Parts: sequence; C-alpha cells; structure tokens
Amino acid sequence: MAKGVRMENIWKIFMPKVIALKNINVDIRPGEFFVILGPSGSGKTTLLRIIAGLEIPTRGRVVIGDQVVVDADKGVFVEPRDRNIGMVFQNWALYPHMTAYDNIAFPLRIKKLPREEIDKRVREVAEALGIAELLDRKPAHMSGGQQQRVAVARALVKQPDVLLLDEPFSNLDARIRVTAREFVKEIQKKLGITTILVTHDQADAFAVGDRVMVLRNGEMQQLGVPEELYGEPANVFIANFIGDPPMNIYKLSIDHPMVKQLGVLEEINEDYKEVYIGIRPDEAVALPLNEEGHLTGTVTIVEYVGSRRYAKLDLGNSISMRTLLECRADHGDKVRIRVYKLHIFAPDGKRIRTLTLVH
Amino acid sequence: MKKLFKYRRTGLIGSPYKILVLNIVAWVIGVLWITPFIGIFMTSIKPFREVVLHGWWTISPFTFTLKNYVDALFNPMFSLSRGILNSFIIAIPSTVIPVTVAALTAYGFARFSLPIKKYLFATILFLMAVPQQMTIIPIFFLSKNLSLLNTYLGLILVHSSWGIPWITFFLRNYFSLLPVELEEAARVDGATDFQVFRKVVLPLAIPGIISASVLQFAWVWNDFFFALMLIFDPDKMVVTQMLPRLKGQYQVDWGLLSSGSVIAMLAPLLVYAFFNKYYMSGFRGWAMKR
Ligand SMILES: Nc1ncnc2c1ncn2[C@@H]1O[C@H](COP(=O)(O)OP(=O)(O)O)[C@@H](O)[C@H]1O
Ligand SMILES: [Mg+2]
Repeated sequence: MAKGVRMENIWKIFMPKVIALKNINVDIRPGEFFVILGPSGSGKTTLLRIIAGLEIPTRGRVVIGDQVVVDADKGVFVEPRDRNIGMVFQNWALYPHMTAYDNIAFPLRIKKLPREEIDKRVREVAEALGIAELLDRKPAHMSGGQQQRVAVARALVKQPDVLLLDEPFSNLDARIRVTAREFVKEIQKKLGITTILVTHDQADAFAVGDRVMVLRNGEMQQLGVPEELYGEPANVFIANFIGDPPMNIYKLSIDHPMVKQLGVLEEINEDYKEVYIGIRPDEAVALPLNEEGHLTGTVTIVEYVGSRRYAKLDLGNSISMRTLLECRADHGDKVRIRVYKLHIFAPDGKRIRTLTLVH
Repeated sequence: MKKLFKYRRTGLIGSPYKILVLNIVAWVIGVLWITPFIGIFMTSIKPFREVVLHGWWTISPFTFTLKNYVDALFNPMFSLSRGILNSFIIAIPSTVIPVTVAALTAYGFARFSLPIKKYLFATILFLMAVPQQMTIIPIFFLSKNLSLLNTYLGLILVHSSWGIPWITFFLRNYFSLLPVELEEAARVDGATDFQVFRKVVLPLAIPGIISASVLQFAWVWNDFFFALMLIFDPDKMVVTQMLPRLKGQYQVDWGLLSSGSVIAMLAPLLVYAFFNKYYMSGFRGWAMKR
C-alpha cells in the first residue's frame, strides 16, 4: 500500500554551525512521484536520509502513513529497518561480495522469508527490470546502468511503502540516462509506490516528477508541478535555476528605458527603485525590423540548440539577451524583439507578477 | 563502486636507478635474513659426526639423513611432537578468541559514538606499548590466585588479552576504511546492527581479519616468555619450551637442535603460505587512502 510522507518543521543543524535544513514542511501524497531539486549542498541528501532514518532531525517530525517515525521534540525514533523503505543510494551501494541475486534477495533473507518465496520474488522483480540474465554476476562485472537496475530491484523487492532515490541518474552517461528515467517512471506508475527522488538536474526532475520541490541552502524555494516552476517562478533564484537555456534576468532601475518600453511600470503597485525583469529565451523572438515588437537589438551570435535557433543580441547599454531567432539574420544585423512573457521580481528577489504581453 | 575499492599504488615508481638501489637493498636484507635458516637447515639434515668434524657450512662431505628429525620428534625424554600438539592447543584458541572479541570492539570504535571513545582508544594504544616483562609478575600472581597457573586455559587467557589491544587497533582502521553506504543500505534493508556486522562488514573485512589472525597465531606460536613463566609441567610445555631441552645434557647435539627448530618453524610458515593471498591484500587494504 502506498503511504504518504509528511514532514513538519524539519530543521537539521550539523554541529557546530552548518544549517543543512531550515524549517521544511511538505506533504507528499500516497503514490506520488515527488522530486527534490536543488544545487549541490542544498540539503537534498540530508532530507532523504532523515526520511530513511539514517539521520535524525534537530527539530521537527516525519510521519509516514499514519505512523510518526521521528519526532525530535518528543524523542520518538523508529529505526530504518522498521520503516519499510526502499532506498537507492547515489553510488548504488551494492554489496560487492554478493551476486546480483544475493543483493536483491538480501532484504528478504533478513526478513527470514521461506526460500521458495524469496526465489519467486527475486526472479519476478529481476524479470520486470530486465536483469534476469545478470543474476549470477557480481557488481564489479556490471555496467553502471545494470548496477542501477539491481539497486532499484533490491529497493523494490520488499514492496516498500516509500521508495527513496538519491541522484539515481547522475552516475550514468547521457544516453542511458534518458532510458533510465523512463524506466524508473514506468515502474513507479505501474507499482504506484510513493517515490521521492533527489536530483540537481532539472531535466531529471521534470522528466519524472509529479511535483517538484526546489531547495536552496536548506530552504524550500517553491513547490509545484513542473509547469508552475517554469511558468511562475517564485523568485529570481528559481527563475535562473530552471529553464534551459537560462532566463535573461536584469536588475534595472525604475527609470531605465527598457522598463518603460516593456510597460512594466503600470503593473507594479509599490514604490520600488529597482526591479528584476526576466525574459525566457523561449518566450521572446527576434524578428525582422519591419515587424512589431518591444525592443530592438543587434545580433552578435547565432546558435543552434537541437532544432531551434537562438540569437544572442546586443541591446545597447551593455545589455545582452538571448531569444529565439525566427528570421534570416546574421552577425551585425539589426532585429526587432517581440516579448511574449515577462517575469517581474521585487528587489528582494520575490516574484511580483508574470505578464503575458502578446497572445 | 569500483573506485571505492581501489588500492593505493605502492609499487616502484621512479627512475631505473632508484629501482636498482631498492632491489639491491631488498636482496641484501633478504639474504641476511635467510642465511641463518639455510645454515640450520643444512645442519639438520647432516649426521652429527660431520657437523662436529667439518663444521655446519660444508658441502663436502655431505651425507643426507632424516635421523635428526625422527629423533627430535620421538625423543622419549622430551617429545617434540607433544610440544607441537600443545602449541596448537594454545595457539588456536589464543587466535580465535582475541580476533573475535577485537573485531566486535573495533567495529564499535569505528562506527558507533561513545562519550569517552577517544580516551578509551588512547588507553588501548598505550597498553600496546607496555613491555611483557613489566606485566609478568602481576600476571603470575593473578594466575596463581585463580588457580590457572600451569594450565592451558591460563596461558590462552593471557595470550588473548595480550592480543586484543593491537588487533582492535588494526581492525578499527580496517573497518573505518570500508564504505559506510553499504552498512546504511543494509540498515534500510532491514538488518539489525549485528546483522549488518555479520553479513556486510565481516565478509568485506576478511582480508583484514585473516591478516590479524595470521600475525597473532605466529606471535603466540613463537612466544617463549609467557609459556616459560606460566607452564612448567613437561607434558603441557609448548614447542618453544621443548627446543632448548633438545640440547642434551653433556654435549650439544646440534643436529637434534636444528631439526627441532625447523619443525617448530613449520607451523607459522605454512600458515603464512596458505593465507598469503588474503594476508597481502589485508595489508594493502590497510594502506588504503582515507
Ligand atoms: N555528516 C555531516 N556533517 C556535517 N555537515 C554535513 C554532513 N552531511 C551534510 N553536511 C552539510 O550539509 C549541507 C547539505 O548537504 P547535502 O544534504 O549532502 O546536500 P546535497 O545532497 O543537496 O548536495 C552541506 O553543506 C554539507 O556540507
Ligand atoms: Mg547529495
């Protein structure tokens, strides 16, 4: 049965002075694929280890299903072995002295299940993950992708309530990565296990996550479905962190001509001296000069990303911008820039509004 | 995964000149080390007459004989075979007991937090530095008061407690080099602390455990001092105590003495040879980078 995971006011302080997590509150639904996204050092692994019981929070509590597994204030702590959790470690942590079969069978042998039952379940899960023919091999004789599957099999074989994955794709090369994502997502949907995945890679996060939580320096920045994070970033950090190529972000004083040209002033109520303005390269296009638009610029570089063409533009006043390029233009040509969507942030980085300029 | 288990390279690195010098040094030490053994071995397979008349380093005349070995093993007065048996009776438990106890202690030191862990460990290191001779008088009286004097058990306990500190030190370093994630994975997989130790840590630490066992076995086998102080019944004497008695009463029988020495050396040599593979990797593991 899938169970939800609730984290309440989680703090983690590593003595003497590393504050790894600051007041984390999340409610993960049963059967959800939940992703924790953040740059390295943001506290992702620490949070996952707290759920697994490998780390004890300094304050706060964690509830799995309806069982409180840790409550720092009341001194409640349930050992990892009693939490029925499956975990895949960043380096997979396969037992090097055991074959794939013995690795996968390990959790069941610990539970002292009957031999035939163990054999049946190991073969079932190995079949499902496409590693049936690897069962006799030791980890040293497997590729990265194969080791990862064995690690996932070992985590799944005991039919856990919650599956935890710590950067499961980061040790795989680009090509296998895409397959591995699909495979993890498929398995998760098929089994309906509540899954929490930690990654620093937004492509991973958006590929598999039902909801994504962004973490930075131990603080939750935003939580939402991928479209929300992309479409309505809560602050400048997220705007900058999410999206590829990255958003063009400018800190401009209120009387800057660009602020006027984009019609920002009418949209903000408070009296700011400066604002951040963000424009995604995919939400603005460079067009011929005779077209209608908001800004003008000069092409400095044309680049191809996949099937798309982007132009790096010089807007004068040492402002440069990357946009989609939808006309024949080359280095040195003047172009008109039409902006479809505009993100405005207050000087402290918080989102004020997202404007749609052109429909 | 593989990377975690890579050993630090300790091979010969550098110019051919350096390699030559290192080789010469190694050979000189090796030859110096093995020469006395060759001498003893030659003496042991010659008739007594030849040794007395021509010395022990002569190739001719050279008559091959195993008489010395037979005499040494089945001497009616001081049976060397009895000594060997006694040595095994002492050395095997004196290896198994301290290695078992020290492995558990060492794992505790390597992975669990204890309020005064640092000081405890410092005490262990300190105890390793105490010379045997300083402890023998209290040990003697302790054994006497416990009626353990002149018993196998008494000597086994003394050897075991002598072994525990250094084996703890040795294995603690070995355990703390093992990747922690494996133990954490096992805990999440449902294992208790003891199951983690038995099913994950111990199998991975086999080379270290074997190295410690081999060293402890050889140490106990070769010990003369403790045995001399604590065992006086000729039936219970260990092989190292039997050896000097082979000397004879009126004249030194070199043949008998040297064949006895070769026999006494055999057990630790065979143990080294048999476990050589593990033993070497145990030490390489110990030199792994932190
Ligand atoms: N055992 C520990 N002792 C001290 N500091 C730690 C420990 N584990 C993690 N940290 C610190 O906590 C912060 C968060 O680490 P971590 O959760 O591993 O980040 P992430 O997984 O997002 O890269 C980092 O600054 C890290 O140095
Ligand atoms: Mg991490």
